[in-house]
Amino acid sequence: MELTDRELVQQCQAGEMSAFQELVSRYQQKVYMVILGLLHNREDALEVAQETFFRAYRKISGFQGGSSFYTWLYRIAVNLAIDAQRRQKRNPLDFRETMDDLLESQDEAARDPFADLHDKELREKLISAINDLTPEHKAVIVLRTIEGLSYKDIGEIVGCSEGTVMSRLHYARKKLQDKLSAFL
Amino acid sequence: MNGCEDKTASIERWLDGELSGAESESLRAHLAACAECSEARRRLEKLQSALTGVLLAEAQRVDFAPFRRAVQLRVNEKRPWHQEALDWMHDAFPVSRAAWVVPALIVLLLAVVSLESYLPGWRGAGRNAFATVDSIDAYGRNVALLREYDTKTTVIWLYQDQEGENEGAEETAPAGPAF
Repeated sequence: MELTDRELVQQCQAGEMSAFQELVSRYQQKVYMVILGLLHNREDALEVAQETFFRAYRKISGFQGGSSFYTWLYRIAVNLAIDAQRRQKRNPLDFRETMDDLLESQDEAARDPFADLHDKELREKLISAINDLTPEHKAVIVLRTIEGLSYKDIGEIVGCSEGTVMSRLHYARKKLQDKLSAFL
Repeated sequence: MNGCEDKTASIERWLDGELSGAESESLRAHLAACAECSEARRRLEKLQSALTGVLLAEAQRVDFAPFRRAVQLRVNEKRPWHQEALDWMHDAFPVSRAAWVVPALIVLLLAVVSLESYLPGWRGAGRNAFATVDSIDAYGRNVALLREYDTKTTVIWLYQDQEGENEGAEETAPAGPAF
């Protein structure tokens, strides 16, 4: 039977390293996606994701369980990603180039679960449009998109009210739709 | 969208699972009857799908085995004490909390100054005077301060160096005791 996050956290707090490894395996992809959505650079995203889990390990003894583990973990990830974005010097187009590689590969295109999105231009425009959002707007739309988190959880992660989450999501979607109106 | 402008936010909340059962039912009924709102819903769903697709496609290309090893290495590595101390400082005093340092220092300074009023000479036995001379700008203006603890008197002089100074003479006359 699969252990819950809470059980894994408790084992981790008792010094069980395998429990922490299980938590990393469980959240590595989602944490990476959240950070990638904010940074748009694969290497930076991997570095920040690594730092996220390292910080989580260091602080896990103080985790009281007042919020769910993933909310707590995403909060660390989003804060680190926003900090990294402010000092990001690498070329943000790296991610776009990554997507071009993806589209050029037949095999990988076949594995793409969203292969119905044939329009390469839409993807490029989408990445460009996300880049134009502020970190706060990016954070809410990425968290909502990837994890399907509730407004309450997103508010806890980014440190604002549910109403603010709702208005930021509405604004971000409107901006994206305006820029992608020809493709949607 | 005729009379449906306010529905966009509701459609978003519905797609996000934030509407109550009754609200959802009402919106579903509206969507079944309103082509424009249905179109708005389709656009929102396509946007959501495109966003997820872009990020998921990229994440699926990453081999996370080296990533997990790197995390494990970082967790296991022995770090120098000063780095641990810096991390502790960073955690204990994040930038948001550091904003309190300035007012806290001011309060501390005021407390020290007040302490001198109540405990004259607390900073050193037999001390009954304090004097200092400082330059206060680049034009040779200076301030001299004398504090006598016994009489609780502070004397402040403002003056200017005479060498090579031709302007502002009237401002540099000794101001005499301030209080």
